[in-house]
Amino acid sequence: MTLIELGLYFALLSLLTFGGLSSVIPEMQRYIVDVKGWTTAADFMHLFAVAQAAPGPNVLFTSLIGYRIAGVAGSLVALLGLCVPAAVLTWVVGSLWERCGDSPWRGVIRRALAPLVVGLTFAAAYIIATPHSPDWRLWLIALATAAGTLRTRVSPLWLLAGGAVLGGLLL
Amino acid sequence: MTIVGQTESTMPAATPPHTLGELFLGFLSIGARSFGGVLPAAHHVMVEQRRWLTPEDFTETVGLCQVLPGPNIGNAAIVLGKRWHGLRGAIVAFLGLFALPYLWVLALALLYTRAAERPLVSAAVAGVGASGAGLFMATAVKLGRPIVRKPAAAALMAGCFVAVAIGRVPLFVVMPIAVIVGLYCSWRRML
Repeated sequence: MTLIELGLYFALLSLLTFGGLSSVIPEMQRYIVDVKGWTTAADFMHLFAVAQAAPGPNVLFTSLIGYRIAGVAGSLVALLGLCVPAAVLTWVVGSLWERCGDSPWRGVIRRALAPLVVGLTFAAAYIIATPHSPDWRLWLIALATAAGTLRTRVSPLWLLAGGAVLGGLLL
Repeated sequence: MTIVGQTESTMPAATPPHTLGELFLGFLSIGARSFGGVLPAAHHVMVEQRRWLTPEDFTETVGLCQVLPGPNIGNAAIVLGKRWHGLRGAIVAFLGLFALPYLWVLALALLYTRAAERPLVSAAVAGVGASGAGLFMATAVKLGRPIVRKPAAAALMAGCFVAVAIGRVPLFVVMPIAVIVGLYCSWRRML
């Protein structure tokens, strides 16, 4: 039962993942932690961290959530649920889009979506760095990483490693 | 065939993968190389190394995939696999892309579950999580900087953030409203 629920939920969510997984992370957390109680907010954050430390598209985070809830079957159901509907849409729209060339609608759609993706990506950052009540130490690590990304050319992997060290020292 | 070095600069034409096996291995290698970002790995493998795509093609395809919902690079695998080998190509490219990272992430999760009891491990992992949140912030800043001066864009950004992060309103409610408002504003040239 849980598997079906998980699959259907991620399949619906799949169609909202404009701009990538980050847009739907707050919604995933709301449903999985607040509504269903399948795991805790802290565990959700930890699984996110594990996914960050792995190579590959960050949608693999969904397979970790699925794994936590329903084992290996859950991991596959969650990953495919999140990917397949969007993939089908891409299949259908892809050729249409390539055909309509320089239609002004392309620009209209792109400009319409940009502010939503920005707002939702900030929301994802806020939700992950605030698993309980706001904690200045987590915020400090997040802001330091953001500054490091924007101001330097250091690889994100080093920044994540820095986050691990700061976490070990501060938390 | 013997003068590859000379023809490189004069012959920019791309040669798509001939077989499904080649397609699979290419995407497998993208997945394997994608530590710290999939798009750079995809560019390296498909444009520089295997020359399946010209740089312009690559940019165009990624642009399309960023407008559609779904993981960008997953969508790119679908679009390119389809273009080269139809439905089978799309499936093969998609599986190739996810195979290795999937195994890797599950292995990491198993390791983590065993070590999670130790407070130091738990603290370090929380630090990585917060750091990952920081990477998202940086992405949002980069994407937002060019548009934040426009009042409609700033209002939409703030509205989405407050509704979803603070208000905890379901995305299934927020997204349709935001898309409609966004399309209206964009169509009226306010964005």
